[in-house]
Amino acid sequence: MSYHVKLQHFEGPLDLLLFLIKKNEINIYDIPIALITKQYLEYIKLMQSLDLEIASEFILMAATLIRIKAQMLLPKPALSEINEEIEDPRQELVAQLLEYKKYKEIAGSLARRENFQRLLFPRGMTDSFADDGSVTVPRMGEVTLFDLLAAFHQAMQRLKTTQPQRIEIPTVSLEEQVDFILRRLQEKDQLTFCELVQDITERVVLVTTFIALLELMRRQEVVIKQKQVFDQIWIFRVHLQN
Amino acid sequence: MDKKQLKKAVEAIIFASDEPVSINRLEKLFPEVKKAEIENIIVGLNREYQAHAFTILKVAGGYQMVTKPEYHDWVKQLYAGRTRPRLSTAALETLSIIAYKQPVSRIEIEAIRGVNSDGVLGTLLERGLIVIKGRAETVGRPLLYGTTDEFLKYFGLNDLAELPKPSEIEAMLKKQETAETVVPEVSTSEASQLNKKNGEE
Repeated sequence: MSYHVKLQHFEGPLDLLLFLIKKNEINIYDIPIALITKQYLEYIKLMQSLDLEIASEFILMAATLIRIKAQMLLPKPALSEINEEIEDPRQELVAQLLEYKKYKEIAGSLARRENFQRLLFPRGMTDSFADDGSVTVPRMGEVTLFDLLAAFHQAMQRLKTTQPQRIEIPTVSLEEQVDFILRRLQEKDQLTFCELVQDITERVVLVTTFIALLELMRRQEVVIKQKQVFDQIWIFRVHLQN
Repeated sequence: MDKKQLKKAVEAIIFASDEPVSINRLEKLFPEVKKAEIENIIVGLNREYQAHAFTILKVAGGYQMVTKPEYHDWVKQLYAGRTRPRLSTAALETLSIIAYKQPVSRIEIEAIRGVNSDGVLGTLLERGLIVIKGRAETVGRPLLYGTTDEFLKYFGLNDLAELPKPSEIEAMLKKQETAETVVPEVSTSEASQLNKKNGEE
């Protein structure tokens, strides 16, 4: 058996406070802070007991209310002779509530407009209101820098998601490249390193060819000569009869 | 072009457009015709449409043909599942603040609402009701938001001046406080707006 508690949804702490003020038929300019704080905290407790996630803004307001309550309890300093006004600790909160109330009122009138407007269907709304998520309403008018940035961002995203290119890894063995070098040296008795590798495009093949050359040097089937540092490297075939 | 033809031409243009046709656009199309005359033509057309299920509405600085509210139940079925959801209270609150205070930053909006408004701003941007207008020349250079033509269209406003003036709202709130009576139904005035438009000279 479980109970369903229906809680009114509040947009924020100010909304909750306005609700409490209305419920208690309180004059907004003279809020009995002790009463409101008590009720406010009761509501927060209720939210906690229902395991509702309490937004930090609600906690902040609770702290504010308690601070105001404490300030109200402090003895008021005697009026100075020039009769300067002593600031009511509630003043700031009241101003905030009034400001919020104003926009809540406007939001209400916008909601009524929205309701009425939803009864009207403009011509040619088929496409502009398609709500399948794929079509967004084109916004006509000025293009701002931010529109361009957004477009650029989108293009970059698209670029990231392009299909990966298929990269073929050439299979090449050391023996194949040894044969390749020897074959080349059969055509000519000597050739430069550049000549040997000039047609090779793949990195793997190039590396393997280089290792093959080292291997041939180890087997003493070729000798490498160079006139001077950074000059062409020449590869000579060692004739076995020698 | 005689008057009859002109009226038909204006009608054809508004009929063919899927966006409100701005008065500037009409002025360019008919340079010899005065603005007031165009407005008269619209009134005349709407009078003719009294026998029809549609009417011309002045919205976002232009004219647009819309179906009349009484046929909503039928037309709605045509667009079943394709109409956008209603805006949330949070979205409406945020839009109200932006409409009156634009260009306005997120911080200023949150100071009034007392809650985080990040998500709401995202939704409103996505629905094209607001745009980023630039950055404030203050610390942190926060983004500034403003309403769009889409906002006007969505709420059936011709321009921002059609929103109640801040003084009117304050007066309304004062009245509420002094006489703790039920809030007067403002919606009826909005509903009658259309009928008035059809009927008026």
